[in-house]
Amino acid sequence: MALAIRFALFGCTNRPFFHIVVMEKRRAQRSGKIKEMIGSYDPMPNQDNQKLVAVDFQKLQKWLGFGAVPTKHVAELLGLGGFYPIHPMSYIKAKRKRKLMEKQPADMQAKEETQETAAIQVNEDTQPDSTEDASQ
Amino acid sequence: MAASMKCAWARCLSTILLNSTKHRCQISQPLYASCSNISGDSGEGGTDQTGQEAGLADDTKKHRRDPGKAFTDVRVQKILLRLTGLDLDKVYEYRAAKGAGVAKVALMSDQQLKKVYESASYKALRKLQMPPVLGAREPIDEVLSEDPELEGLNTSKLVFIDISQRVPLKKRTIVVREPNGTLRKASWEERDVTLQKYFPQSGRKIGLPRMFQQDNLECMLDDGKHEYILNRACSQFEIDDPEYIRVTQRTYEHIHSNGKFEDLRSTRHFGPMIFYFTYYKKIDKLLVAFLEEESLEDSVDLVKLYHIVHPSCKSAEKVASMPDPTPLEIIGAFAEMDATQKSLVQQAIQTYEKECDSTDSTQLRR
Repeated sequence: MALAIRFALFGCTNRPFFHIVVMEKRRAQRSGKIKEMIGSYDPMPNQDNQKLVAVDFQKLQKWLGFGAVPTKHVAELLGLGGFYPIHPMSYIKAKRKRKLMEKQPADMQAKEETQETAAIQVNEDTQPDSTEDASQ
Repeated sequence: MAASMKCAWARCLSTILLNSTKHRCQISQPLYASCSNISGDSGEGGTDQTGQEAGLADDTKKHRRDPGKAFTDVRVQKILLRLTGLDLDKVYEYRAAKGAGVAKVALMSDQQLKKVYESASYKALRKLQMPPVLGAREPIDEVLSEDPELEGLNTSKLVFIDISQRVPLKKRTIVVREPNGTLRKASWEERDVTLQKYFPQSGRKIGLPRMFQQDNLECMLDDGKHEYILNRACSQFEIDDPEYIRVTQRTYEHIHSNGKFEDLRSTRHFGPMIFYFTYYKKIDKLLVAFLEEESLEDSVDLVKLYHIVHPSCKSAEKVASMPDPTPLEIIGAFAEMDATQKSLVQQAIQTYEKECDSTDSTQLRR
């Protein structure tokens, strides 16, 4: 089985919250078969307009040593954090959003981000990523 | 128990503790060394404690930036500890707090009582550990990477914190990815808030408690809650936080303008307060207060402290040149040469001399 470093969606309705966990890639995230939790990601910005990401880098490196592979979105996040080089999809998404901003007003930006959260959720449930293609 | 005997034990015990290698006054030194800017150099690392005159130089710019070096000097620590004193009744005063039990009453022999006093004094000295006086921390200003091509990806900042085990709080890596794509180290304020969220310390609130806002602080000070403010500031802030320095210095100034120095006697804040006045050359009122109480020892200690912190001041040079100065001569030299309110101090000295002459001369302490 493929050991992955991935998001597991917790939280509740209209309030997503991701745990960064080590578990098999194709398992359901709430099956309870998490090997280890190594961090968290809160996709909703707080009062200071911050999205908080906590990662236990020592454990991350240990599991990478065991052959765990980060998923797309985890790799993107770690790239933004400086642990990995920036993921090419980050550049692509940024460019797409800039293009969109030129055409549409600022509140569309927030819409894009909620769609992205849904994209992460859908992705981790291992279904085809249809929302992103729709936004092009 | 006679007050004088209690006093004698306390003095004896504190001398032992000051001289013993196990409980040396080195509390502030490693703390001072670790309070350096997390991103920058830990530069002035090993400050040797024997006569670090460079750190106590009279260059006013250096002075204002870094009182920590002077504060961690062993000679300064010894004097501050002596001045603080040890009033067991005050240290063990009943405070309404969680876990505060009911006082026990016990019947004991003299020997048992002596032992209890000794262990209580030992513990009390730990309660009197002084929070160090440091200069305000230098702002963190380090950019790790600039990526303008990420502009537009996020409208919010992404804050990354390393939650690895067994890493000291000050060394934890916290970085921020700005919406414009810059990856930088988190500022001190961001650090404090984020660390409190992930590694909460008891007694701390996220953000500034309303009590420390200027108007509310003034209300508290007028109510006379100096010790409470200082205790809470100690638990809320880091000691090199500019907010901590603002709150403590305002409290000291308030005490100074009301002359209520004795409120903090035998608390852990007395030493830092005395040091603050000495460092910023405001000891006149304090000296007068000590002389009015007729504690010559304290007055001389204060002047000696002034000479250590400001070694190139005129009275220090004069006293150094004197062969065997008496306490009153040392204070007199200070009053003549370095006191800002010369007449006030000299008058206090004269009053003290009169009091001593009128009473028995054997009451003069060494």
